[in-house]
Amino acid sequence: MEIKRTIAEINEKIKRGDAVILTAEEMVELVREKGAEAAAKEVDVVTTGTFGLMCSSGAFLNFGHSDPPIKFGGGEVYLNDVPAYAGLAAVDVYIGATALSRSKGMEYGGGHVIEDLVSGREIELEAKAYGTDCYPRREIKLTFTIHDLNQAILCNPRNAYQRYVAATNSTDETLYTYMGTLLPKFGNVTFAGTGELGPLAKDPNYETIGIGTRIFLAGAQGYIVGEGTQHDPKKQRGTIMVAGDLKQMDAKYLRGATVHKYGTSLFVGIGIPIPIISERVAASAGISDEQIMIDLLDYGVPRRERPIIRKVSYAELKSGKVEIYGKDVPVSPLSSIKISREIAEKLKELIEKGEFLLSEPVARLSTEREFKPMRQPERVIVAKDLMTREVITCKPETPIAEAARILARGGFDHLPVVDDSGTLVGIVTSWDLAISIGSGKNKVAEIMTRKVITAVENEPIESVARKLDEHGISGVPVIDAFRRVVGIITTDDISKLIGKRR
Amino acid sequence: MKKKILLKYSATKATEPVLASAIKETGLLVNILYADIDSSGGEIMISVDAPQHELERLLQKLRDLGVEVEEIRRVIKLDESRCVHCGACVSICPTQALRLTNDFSLKLDEEKCVYCEACIPTCPMRALKIGRW
Repeated sequence: MEIKRTIAEINEKIKRGDAVILTAEEMVELVREKGAEAAAKEVDVVTTGTFGLMCSSGAFLNFGHSDPPIKFGGGEVYLNDVPAYAGLAAVDVYIGATALSRSKGMEYGGGHVIEDLVSGREIELEAKAYGTDCYPRREIKLTFTIHDLNQAILCNPRNAYQRYVAATNSTDETLYTYMGTLLPKFGNVTFAGTGELGPLAKDPNYETIGIGTRIFLAGAQGYIVGEGTQHDPKKQRGTIMVAGDLKQMDAKYLRGATVHKYGTSLFVGIGIPIPIISERVAASAGISDEQIMIDLLDYGVPRRERPIIRKVSYAELKSGKVEIYGKDVPVSPLSSIKISREIAEKLKELIEKGEFLLSEPVARLSTEREFKPMRQPERVIVAKDLMTREVITCKPETPIAEAARILARGGFDHLPVVDDSGTLVGIVTSWDLAISIGSGKNKVAEIMTRKVITAVENEPIESVARKLDEHGISGVPVIDAFRRVVGIITTDDISKLIGKRR
Repeated sequence: MKKKILLKYSATKATEPVLASAIKETGLLVNILYADIDSSGGEIMISVDAPQHELERLLQKLRDLGVEVEEIRRVIKLDESRCVHCGACVSICPTQALRLTNDFSLKLDEEKCVYCEACIPTCPMRALKIGRW
């Protein structure tokens, strides 16, 4: 017989002090040992936890009115030199986690402002306004703490992804991404999410987690506002929008962070209790790391659809090594498994003590919503649309004088060097040739650059332009999967394109 | 006392069995932490656990053999109050000096650190710092 209990019944047990509460990891063990039916009989609540970088986070702050009054709305507001969104009424602002300091750049951003606020530290406010008859003041500069504010409300439009992805990098260069630093040639793997500990992963049909669900939000009791932005239930990538009183929160669970060469963000700690209302809910709350598979994507391809290298389970990811093409690759979690666990434990403790009661969702999260890509009027221009296909190349043993003649005759500046099989092994430019005069060197092999910056045919032109700019070069060979040269793109080609667009 | 020494090789010394000779003569146990050396020279970082006078003998021998010797006077610090154990550094560290334990706590084993400093900017919490003395 299906075991069923209501949330009201569970709350009664919590108040009496005889509810049985397990953390998500304990539930995995129990379901593995005794099965979902037995677990559903025994257990009333399962607590989950996650502590990871959640860029779509921020806080609404209300300052009260100054005398004479000032209207931030339509003006500019900076908190510790980090721009806050001021397009609201007179003294409300929204500080987002990824906003960067004007003076410190990526070393300090909105995420750090939020951490400093919650820690009770002094924050500098600087605002400029245009002035009106009712709000005549045009400027204000002062310091404040969270205690001086009327409201400080954490309101995060997208948190706690049901499942995320794992990332690696097939290219020859280190990439700095929102998935952390990715070393060249599959040098490492990073992943986000906490697998069997994660809230939405343990209630994948959103049977108990819904609008209005009371949650552990960074040490305080917060609520689910509704589905998060980019909620993608059909791909099991659901998200939630959450809100709670920042003044009640603990800075331990809200930490400003800098993702190297990417930007600032905020570590957010969230725990959600799952009431075991049925055997089906017990079974999903018992899903293990082995059963939660995510895509390992190649971030070397700068497109929206990145190639999937393979599927990988959270169990493999958490082991610290992932196999890619027969090689063991070291793994970095980006979410803190340790603090996620701590949150699940903490929530369990709060419920056991009767300090945290469960809530009935007001409405369910959508299980149908589609996640659409951006509507872009223009077609994506990629390397093969722009490249010169008739590429003249030379061999490593080509004499330098001959290479100079080839460049002069063709009127171009880049000469890719290929071996007998046509594989790219180097590049020489007219500059390399110019500075080799009188050096006593004879062959191209002696002066060529061996570490060639390259592009691939389907690479968006924005990515190619970025490579040219970052490396201070004026052209890149376009290669296929076997490193054979199929074209070349120069800064001239890109300038012409921009000329045409205008 | 365990010390880390950086040996800098010129092009001519790179092809000679310098370190082997020094080890053979002093009989000290030398642990090679990393080596980046080719025909144009390079460097080897070693760690040696020996009393000061024996260490000095090894270093003198290496100097005599034409290798530049530099004692590593650096220290890496993990600020426990800042670390959130996210592990962003662990797959970047080339020597596994940074690793997650079974309970997913971050541990720094300075013995293994070669001061490449790759972890420093990778840490989202700025919890890793290099000191020089």
